[in-house]
Amino acid sequence: MNIPIERGKVVTVARGQSTSVAGFSLSKGLGVVFRHWRRAWFEKQHQNVPATASESAPNAGNDKSKPTAFVTLEDMSKSYGTFTVEYPEQRIKLPEAYRNMPVLLYDDETGHELCTSCFQCQRICPPQVIHMTQAKDPASGKPVPSVAEFIIEYDACMSCGFCAEVCPFDAIKMDHEFELSTHDHPSLTVYKRDLNRPVSYYESIAPGFWAEARERAYKKLATNMKRRPGAIGIAPHLTEKITAAQAQAAQAAAAQAPAAKAPAKKAAAPRAADTAAAPTDKEAKLAAIRARNAAQKGGSAPAAGTAADAPLPTDKEAKLAAIRARNAAKKGGSTPAAETSAEESPPTDDKAARLAAIRARNAAKKGDATPSEESDQPAAETPPANDKAARLAAIRARNAAQKATEAAEQAADSATSTPEAPASSSEEGKPLDEKAARLAEIRARNAARKKGDQE
Amino acid sequence: MELLIQIIFVLISTLILGAAVMVVRTRNVIHSALWLIASFFGIGALYLLLEAEFLAIAQVLIYVGAISVLILFAIMLTHNVTSGEGHKFYQRWWLALLVSLMLFAVILVPTLVGQDWTITARPSEESAIAGAVEMGTAFMREYLLPFEIAAVLLLVALTGAIVIAYEERAQRRRILTLAQELALRKQQQQNHAEE
Amino acid sequence: MADVINHVLNTMLGLNAPEWLIIFISNSIAVTLIFAIAPLQMLFMTYFERRAIARMQDRLGPNRVGPKGIFQPVADGVKMFTKEDIVPTAADKMVHLLAPCVVAAPVMFMFAVIPWGPGMYAVDLDTGLLFFFAISSVSAVGLMMAGWASYNKFALLGAMRAVAQMVSYEVPALISIAVIVMLTNSMSIVSIIEAQSGLFISQVDVAGIPDLGLGWFIFSPVGLLGFICFFIAALAEGERTPFDIPEADSEIVAGYMTEYSGMKFALFFLAQYLLNFLLCAITVITFFGGWQGPGISWLWSMAVSEANPAGNPIFNVLAGILGTFYFLAKTYFFFFVMIWIRGAFPRLRVDQLMGFGWKFVIPLTIVNIFSASLWIGWIRWELNPDLAFLSALGEPYSFARWGFAFVATLVMNVAAYTLMTRINRSPDETIDELVADQVFGAVTLR
Repeated sequence: MNIPIERGKVVTVARGQSTSVAGFSLSKGLGVVFRHWRRAWFEKQHQNVPATASESAPNAGNDKSKPTAFVTLEDMSKSYGTFTVEYPEQRIKLPEAYRNMPVLLYDDETGHELCTSCFQCQRICPPQVIHMTQAKDPASGKPVPSVAEFIIEYDACMSCGFCAEVCPFDAIKMDHEFELSTHDHPSLTVYKRDLNRPVSYYESIAPGFWAEARERAYKKLATNMKRRPGAIGIAPHLTEKITAAQAQAAQAAAAQAPAAKAPAKKAAAPRAADTAAAPTDKEAKLAAIRARNAAQKGGSAPAAGTAADAPLPTDKEAKLAAIRARNAAKKGGSTPAAETSAEESPPTDDKAARLAAIRARNAAKKGDATPSEESDQPAAETPPANDKAARLAAIRARNAAQKATEAAEQAADSATSTPEAPASSSEEGKPLDEKAARLAEIRARNAARKKGDQE
Repeated sequence: MELLIQIIFVLISTLILGAAVMVVRTRNVIHSALWLIASFFGIGALYLLLEAEFLAIAQVLIYVGAISVLILFAIMLTHNVTSGEGHKFYQRWWLALLVSLMLFAVILVPTLVGQDWTITARPSEESAIAGAVEMGTAFMREYLLPFEIAAVLLLVALTGAIVIAYEERAQRRRILTLAQELALRKQQQQNHAEE
Repeated sequence: MADVINHVLNTMLGLNAPEWLIIFISNSIAVTLIFAIAPLQMLFMTYFERRAIARMQDRLGPNRVGPKGIFQPVADGVKMFTKEDIVPTAADKMVHLLAPCVVAAPVMFMFAVIPWGPGMYAVDLDTGLLFFFAISSVSAVGLMMAGWASYNKFALLGAMRAVAQMVSYEVPALISIAVIVMLTNSMSIVSIIEAQSGLFISQVDVAGIPDLGLGWFIFSPVGLLGFICFFIAALAEGERTPFDIPEADSEIVAGYMTEYSGMKFALFFLAQYLLNFLLCAITVITFFGGWQGPGISWLWSMAVSEANPAGNPIFNVLAGILGTFYFLAKTYFFFFVMIWIRGAFPRLRVDQLMGFGWKFVIPLTIVNIFSASLWIGWIRWELNPDLAFLSALGEPYSFARWGFAFVATLVMNVAAYTLMTRINRSPDETIDELVADQVFGAVTLR
């Protein structure tokens, strides 16, 4: 019976024909219930497909049985039989628009994540459970349209689906997986590694939605992939894919080498050393030497050579050499490849830190056509007081230097300029304190940036 | 067997008396009522000890099941039952004491004096002293008039209660459904407009 | 029980045990059995109810713990035992503690008079039926205590409702049972069952009917109306669904049980289910012959009993098993009917409950008393010395007398029923329709 409901109208429903014998309708009601009871033993309202080893859905969680489908009736009063879905054994097919928790998509073929870390989802998230950092090109320090780390706190997520709706790259989508119970909270803070799902998985759970989004998503992805150097943007757990991509990049670089400047060749070398399964001392040393040689051959920046002249007896120094070599390489040209070694081998002691700082400064200076005295001198004169601070300072200084270098290169006039400021002044200033070190380093960075801006 | 019965008797009468004392001793009226129920129950047990099954069951059915529930209802529907401040030692307590002593004397003294204290052997197993059949016959034959009078009295009390309750209720406004209320208001407006 | 023990100990084993020992042993066994079986009944009933109601609602019910979920009540029991016992700060602690005991104890008492099979009863009181209802009314006090001691308005409301309902529905229950007492001339539950032998006609009414254990009172118009009224009253007494106002969970949380948790709550639950079981059992005993059924009398005639001390105890066991089977089958059928009604009907309002009780059921039971008087007067006029002259007409026409009594009481009861339904028809319906039509011009759907 359809009851038209209108605003402002009172609807009364007649109780039907009253019978001459009271209690008749009561027994009628009992009859209806009894029929339901009787038929519920034999009939089911849904077609129950028995649980079988289904054709394997690769990453999906619901491969335990084939989902069951409801037979929907127009008039529910005429339906009989149990409608219970015996959940762990049977599952109903979830509607496409079903949403539980957000996941990230990556392309099956290339392994590239669709996410560009535009921060739209992070901004819109009502419970503020999405956190991400943008990936940066380690060579140039420039942001890359890719995400370095992506965290969703599932335990506070309210499954509103705003993130998926707002995502312009169709990178974040709502998953159908709902069996997420754990014994602890921390495991519900999910990192990118566990958030990544292949596009084919999403296609399997929501084919209609993906058909709509597919074209624009891939178009955007293709554009973004061009701006992603090396292995950036490839789902981290696809190790084979990453290594393959790295090998490809290395080949490309090698092919470029004869034509282009020497640093390109050298740029490929450290990475090759890093990606090797177990890089040994010897290999590291070799790599460092080779890199330095390459840099020297380039002839662009001989200044670093003074520090590197010393023999390389230990592991540590090998690393240092590598850093230096890279710095030199940067000075020489714009090779975006050498991203790893610096991060993986931060200076471990005072001396090394100081050295690194000095060299970084040198690099900055070299990058600058006309270094300003105010900015460089304090940095050089106040070497870091303690280990940690020193390291921080060194890293930051290096970053600043890199930026400066980039800027300079864009101007395309500083590549061949000879650096002047020797490193001696840094030895004179004794460590004052941590704070001063930091200040100095900030100033140095600012100056470098200014320089870049000017140019 | 006799000893056992005596022990049980002592236990039951201790329960009855203790509960009765607690009825007056306790400050909480509800607790008083509950102790009274315990006392009633003990009396029922005493009847059972006397092999007056029907009487015992009637005691439980009427006193424990009905009257005490009525008492509880009445207490709960009155205000300030649990404050415990209602018990004041009234100034004319001696008068109350006197009256109760006199009543006690009137009832108990003749019984004590007139009782022949020689205990005879139990009558043979002819019949229960207060079996259902005997009581039924007695009510319907010998004591029909008192029985009927009591019934009429109860009926009058029932009717009176209904009359009292009904008068009060008639003054109350009838509770209408929303639709009826609206209809009433519209009708009133209409009447008003016509005037 | 005592007969069998006596037989086994003294006759078969020749131990020459004294009488008190035999009574003690037999009573201990009976009490132990009752206390062991009663909670098991409750466990099974919760499972039974949940499964049955689930099928009525097109569901499956508990089906995970054990095969077909049969151990679900055990799991629930474990849960109950391990739950924290919470007593409200403002509660009357002692009364709060005692209330579940006062509710549960009478229910266990009531088992004392229930015969499970021929000769299988703890005690045969002369006033067994009255005892049953007298003791059941004690639990009203427990409900009051629970509601009052909880210091919770829902609990108090629930208790008030429960007690009001119990007290008012005790009247129709007792009056409709009184009809059976009139028919059997006894209040002993054992003799009420024994009176229901025969074949659709009780042997008490017409002598010489072959005893197939089917002379149930339900087959007479008096018994039928009595059964209907009694079962309605039993639903109200047991707080079953159309009358589950005291614990209407959509209105007053859980009624008087609101502030109870853990084992105290479990005791209430136990008491309630056992009461339901007992009400079904007493329905079966009074109107459906208790353990009576085909084959019982034949087995029992060969067993050890007062009439036949030389019988074989094997037949006691056999008759007991068959009788218990009949009894439990009938009882669980009626429990199923209770569930069925729960699946079919919504809850009544408080005023509807009271109106239904006092304006419909009680008048019908009183009419039924008249019918029963007519029945007895017509069938057993020779028992009354004043009507002894009629017995000259008596014996040859016993079937005719039975037939006349049947028709007369049937007409009387049906007429009373029709009249009561006519009187009780609510005029509200038409008023509402008129109001809606005239004032709002509303759509009235038929």
